[in-house]
Amino acid sequence: MILRILLTSLSFFLLSTSIVFGETARIITKENALREQCRFFSPVKARVQYADVITVISKEGDWYRASFKGIEGCIHRNAIEEKSFNLSGISGTEKRSATNTEVALAGKGFNPQVESSYRRSHPEMNFRAVDLIEGYTVSETELLDFIIKGGLNRP
Amino acid sequence: MMKQRIPLYIVILLLFSFLVSEVQGFPFSVPSIPHLDKATKAAQEVSKAQRPISDEEEYYIGRAVAAKILASYPLLENKALTAYVNLVGQTIALHSDTPQTYGGYHFAILDANEINAFACPGGTILVTKGMISATRNEEELAAVLAHEVAHIHNRDGIASIKSARWTEALTVIGTETARSYTPAQVSQLVRIFEGSVEDVFKTLVVNGYGRSQEYQADETAMRYLSRAGYNPGSLRDFLLVLLAQGTAASGGILNTHPGTAERIENCAHTIPSRKLDESTAMARSARFNTALRK
Repeated sequence: MILRILLTSLSFFLLSTSIVFGETARIITKENALREQCRFFSPVKARVQYADVITVISKEGDWYRASFKGIEGCIHRNAIEEKSFNLSGISGTEKRSATNTEVALAGKGFNPQVESSYRRSHPEMNFRAVDLIEGYTVSETELLDFIIKGGLNRP
Repeated sequence: MMKQRIPLYIVILLLFSFLVSEVQGFPFSVPSIPHLDKATKAAQEVSKAQRPISDEEEYYIGRAVAAKILASYPLLENKALTAYVNLVGQTIALHSDTPQTYGGYHFAILDANEINAFACPGGTILVTKGMISATRNEEELAAVLAHEVAHIHNRDGIASIKSARWTEALTVIGTETARSYTPAQVSQLVRIFEGSVEDVFKTLVVNGYGRSQEYQADETAMRYLSRAGYNPGSLRDFLLVLLAQGTAASGGILNTHPGTAERIENCAHTIPSRKLDESTAMARSARFNTALRK
């Protein structure tokens, strides 16, 4: 009886980890971070850039536990292309990576090349101000301090 | 006995694997079957061919829309006030359903006395000086920004792009792995890009959003306010102020098909209940007054 329970438990464990472990996904934000815990303001363990491919380990609410270059941490679901691994399993049980096509799709469509041509034909557009606005940033320390001092909720 | 139960165990294991895959958002794995692989690949290609505008593409459209708005509205260069607006806006964004976008959220003030605000696709939010001056406290400023963040989450700006344009863009983009385009392809894409920017600009600045989009943005905004710890009723309070002042710009936030009075009524019906802490509201009022020098 004990042996049967052990065998069943082991099978369940192996089967569940084989589905979850080893899937990969692409970063879809300009830059992002793998954090120690699955919440904002948690210490950053590794920085990731657009189109980097991470290995997803598990899901925790709106966050994924993943690894990048051997460093493990949490990343918010908004930062990764979920479909790149949601589509995967049907083609086999083997470990699956983001395909070359998926990676190559990064930067396709409306991209810097298109914007650059558009700017040349529309010199009246104020892209200088847009670049200035994109430089407006607040540090995590400032933001957390602002939230705490204002009696607001931490995300 | 053990042997007899093996099929039962297999069924249980398969069911379990299915449940795990559903719960965690992962697909159900089945052994590779050649013709199924082919069908899947074909389905994926079709899906790519019909894909929606990506976050990155949305960002580039948003940049051009912002550049077009900023061609007629000068930017207010007040570092302290801009930093304060960004702190309020980022707090709301982190409590939204889309806390991160391709290029992130950025909040800027337009040097104009009219009461207006624009949510450019991708996360750039432009608010006029007049709009900020009309707010009476941090809660109301947060309500204005939450409404704009909601439009970004709901992709209301992007939704105004004519579908034929995107269909045409996809024929140029294709599914090949080429990383850059020929001059002819670029010129075709630029023309489509130009049209898309025009579509979004018209909705944001000239025509305004539709009734359901505004109601939805108000409801979503109140949810974000509540999550962040602000009074969700502040959106309704601010709309009441605007109604009393009778102020309306020629486009943007107030040029909407549901009028301000209808939006107030909708807010009253959908406002989430929340226990308010007056002591923390006072701390926020103090920093609001400092930032706005009221």
